[in-house]
Amino acid sequence: MAKVILQSIGSDRAEFLSDDLWRRQLEHCGELTGALQAKRDEVRAGWGKKYEDRVHAKGKLTTWERIEQLKDDDSPILPVGTLVNYGLDFGGRGSPGAGVVTAFIRVHGLWVVVIVNDNTVASGSWWPQTPEKIQRAQEIALRLRLPVIYLVDCSGLYLPEQSRTFPGRTGAGAIFRMNSLLSAAGVPQIAGVHGDCIAGGGYMPIISDVVYMTEQAYMVIAGAALIKGAKSSHITSLTIGGPDVHVHLSRCADHRVPDDTVLLRRVREEIARLPGPAWDYYRFGAEAAQPRLPAVELNGLFPQDHRMGYDVRQVLARLVDDSLFWEIFPDHGHEMVCGVGRLNGLYAGFVANNPALTDHPVDPGVKRPGGILYRDGIAKISQFSRACNDDGIPLIWLQDISGFDIGVEAEKQGLLGYGSNLIYTNSTNDVPMFTVLLRKGSGAGYYAMAGLPYAPLLQLATPYTRLAVMEGRTLSIGAFNTKLDDNFNIATSDEQEAEKVRKGMQQVEQRIENDMDPVRAAAIRDIDEIVSPQELRVYLEAAVSMAYQAIGYRRVKNPRIWSLHDLRVLTG
Amino acid sequence: MVRRVGSIYPVAKRTEMVGFRAALVGRLCLFGPIEIGGFVFRRLLIANRGEIALRIARGCRELGVEPVMIYSEADRGAPWLEEAAQAVCVGPARAAASYLDQDAVLQAAEQADCQAVHPGYGFLAENALFAARCAQQGLTWVGPPAAAIRAMGDKAEAKKSIAAAGLPTIPGSADVLSGVDEARRLAAKVGYPVLLKATAGGGGKGMRRCDSEDEIDSAYAEASMEAGKAFGNASLYLEKLILGGRHIEFQLLCDGFGNGLHLGERECSIQRQHQKLVEEAPSPVMSSEVREKMGRKVARALSKLGYRNAGTVEFLRDRDGKFYFMEVNTRLQVEHPVTEMWTGLDLVARQLQIAANCPLDLKQSEVQFQGHAIEFRINAEDPDQGFRPDPGEIVRFRAPEVSRAGARVRWDSAVREGYRIPPNYDSMIGKLIVHAADREAAIEAGREALSSLVLDGVKTTIPFHLWLLSDPGFRSGEYNIDHLADLGPLRTGESGPVGGSA
Repeated sequence: MAKVILQSIGSDRAEFLSDDLWRRQLEHCGELTGALQAKRDEVRAGWGKKYEDRVHAKGKLTTWERIEQLKDDDSPILPVGTLVNYGLDFGGRGSPGAGVVTAFIRVHGLWVVVIVNDNTVASGSWWPQTPEKIQRAQEIALRLRLPVIYLVDCSGLYLPEQSRTFPGRTGAGAIFRMNSLLSAAGVPQIAGVHGDCIAGGGYMPIISDVVYMTEQAYMVIAGAALIKGAKSSHITSLTIGGPDVHVHLSRCADHRVPDDTVLLRRVREEIARLPGPAWDYYRFGAEAAQPRLPAVELNGLFPQDHRMGYDVRQVLARLVDDSLFWEIFPDHGHEMVCGVGRLNGLYAGFVANNPALTDHPVDPGVKRPGGILYRDGIAKISQFSRACNDDGIPLIWLQDISGFDIGVEAEKQGLLGYGSNLIYTNSTNDVPMFTVLLRKGSGAGYYAMAGLPYAPLLQLATPYTRLAVMEGRTLSIGAFNTKLDDNFNIATSDEQEAEKVRKGMQQVEQRIENDMDPVRAAAIRDIDEIVSPQELRVYLEAAVSMAYQAIGYRRVKNPRIWSLHDLRVLTG
Repeated sequence: MVRRVGSIYPVAKRTEMVGFRAALVGRLCLFGPIEIGGFVFRRLLIANRGEIALRIARGCRELGVEPVMIYSEADRGAPWLEEAAQAVCVGPARAAASYLDQDAVLQAAEQADCQAVHPGYGFLAENALFAARCAQQGLTWVGPPAAAIRAMGDKAEAKKSIAAAGLPTIPGSADVLSGVDEARRLAAKVGYPVLLKATAGGGGKGMRRCDSEDEIDSAYAEASMEAGKAFGNASLYLEKLILGGRHIEFQLLCDGFGNGLHLGERECSIQRQHQKLVEEAPSPVMSSEVREKMGRKVARALSKLGYRNAGTVEFLRDRDGKFYFMEVNTRLQVEHPVTEMWTGLDLVARQLQIAANCPLDLKQSEVQFQGHAIEFRINAEDPDQGFRPDPGEIVRFRAPEVSRAGARVRWDSAVREGYRIPPNYDSMIGKLIVHAADREAAIEAGREALSSLVLDGVKTTIPFHLWLLSDPGFRSGEYNIDHLADLGPLRTGESGPVGGSA
């Protein structure tokens, strides 16, 4: 019978975690998320109050005020790329969020991607990595057919850094290429022009289906600053490219509106003209529900020490609707958990590492560490990934992976082959995939489980995330291999020499430890967004909703004809 | 193995089992889904036991649906299982491991090829998660949608949405109290006496009554400390205390097309420690004008909230005749036969009809109320020993009967001679319902039926009911939910039942 039978997963927190340990882990998480929140606040403040006042003095709204007015009252704002350029310095100045906010919000019930220049950071100009950040948001919109709203207030490239933003493959021009591809794919794009819109800033809105301009807005190929004699003949950018010109003469824009607030209302009305989300249809009779075990408890589930294990089923239980889950292949590869659950009433496939100690498949009584890819686990998730791709079930990868198993047995079994099989599967999947680095993303395991190089639509991380090819200690052993003995102790009797090796190893270890900080990875876009554990539910719910919002562009099989049922029959 | 309906009901003279069935089936046949060959559901799983399992099974049979029952090891070979087309064992005697084990019950539904699940009352009846799981698995849930169960199950949320729908709620704090000052201010506004209650509460813990402003400081401190200790959550809310209230509930039916009907009220004020013992309809204090006005309002409110299927809205009626919302029961109630006898409608059949997504083929004006019905819950309990449960074997049984002209008796039970009541579940043996032209005649019919009912081998509540029927308070109709408590410990006595202290 081709029915999807979801079963209760997880248990009450008190049943598996003592009050004391729970409190300590919660506190630890509180410290980590507190630090994260401080960084978010810092980015959100832009260049500070002075620049905010300057925007207000012009009678304009700030970026965040615009987003607040644009979204539905009950919609969260889910930013992507908040920490891009965090801690990076450009000639003595920082560029919080790379001077642009990209986020998911709901407008008239539909998830849309908003791309808003931050007018409190160098008048919304484009910094190194700004084009890439915008393209990432456009890419997600293109792949999920999400409407895009551009709120443009951009004085062009930040010129001193032009060599890093103008010419390259992902330079500013690639934004307009994405504009074109979105248009070619029939994805609705709406632009609001709020102010400066110079050069590149001018091309971005024009490709959109509908363009609104406020009375303060102008769009020009080059501003008055570059026009000879402009000053003496009192030509301003507004006179050469304002709404008078573009709405009435050139027809490069469609509508003029008095101010920001009216513009945002009109953009909302445009979205209301689009067909609504297909969720109810794709719920196949089920309803959306919160997890029975509260998502907020995710904050206290992770141990303080990254070498300690935990039961990932308890994590899953706090992510899926009603805490119901259909686990697939529960009898194989115990170090991996995969199966189907619902988010917002919509089906999603989950693949998760189980970092707890697990049973050895052959030797009864022998335990081995989870969080490692062994043969059975690889075969299991590879087959599951293929099946979800075939069935059109969006995939969520929950990584806490140290890497592939190593050693004589692993090579004899041909893990290279099984791993490549998995890599092939994930490389050729076209179902939407979302990756979460719950904790570790290391080694080829990070690749094999749909890490960023395998084009997940989103790569989320938590404050616990450690992203590097291997742990610092392991890496230093690799680097100093020739100086070490069988037990990785320093193999020299020369005290001076030993000290040198010890210092060198420490340095390498420390450097890797710093590199593993998710904030660093997020600053260079190796992570799309860092979220607190409890926010995972919100982000994933939105992600899966977006994957089922539009119709007709991707395979969605009804649950009766899922190939997953074949697997159930074959495995008993 | 289809068995003849009614095989375990001993058919007695002038005894009707379930009323007016034939007439109803005739009506249901007028539209789509019920045709020759059966109802839209071929088989339905009854996730319950005892008399209600039997009641639902009979409702199914009437519509040509095959009832499938589940049972625990303690109920193996129980008499009601003979009514099932198939019976599936779901686990050991302990309810948590059998009747409450969602996986086992759903597994049973799959195994027996059912298309629908009727939960009855108790057990999983008001479990939103279970309802959602049924829907997820493609089993039609005979009851309100999971979202409605969830919404009404959260007392504070239910109160808010009911108030928003325009029904009166008990005055008090809209949310958690911020402190004793807010409590004092609110209490002055709604008037003393008031109740301070723990939001996380239950079982009377963290609850304090306050009769005047002098008491509020200490009451607040005590209640919040107690709540903090008992539930780990010290937050309190405040409600006006309604003294001498009557428990009056409205029976509702809502279909999936926005039609909502009320089937009048039931008076359930004869209670012992919140356990209903006797229910009657109409209520002795309800005028037909108020019934119509309230009933329509409640039906409109519930269908506006997206409610579907049968439901009951409970009110407390104060001495001045004002109604205050208490809660919504999102299930078929134990006392539903009272309404069936009074209105002549079959609630289980209606539930199935609505679950099958048929529109209600009944207008409010067509709901007719006739005569007076009283239900007596016959429990295996000793009224002389504080109603202590007394399970055991029924060595002699004779069904109740009445000989009075114009009176009818209905006996909803699943026991028979030689049946051993297991100690694992609740102690109800059956429900005796009488119907007659007016209240006085119904009381007399009740007296006759109770006296003719024989259940030897266990102590039962029959003597209590006989005593109650001669109690002046009950006879006059002037009683409230504190009636039994006010009388003190009960003794049914040798020479006929008497009330009074021990």
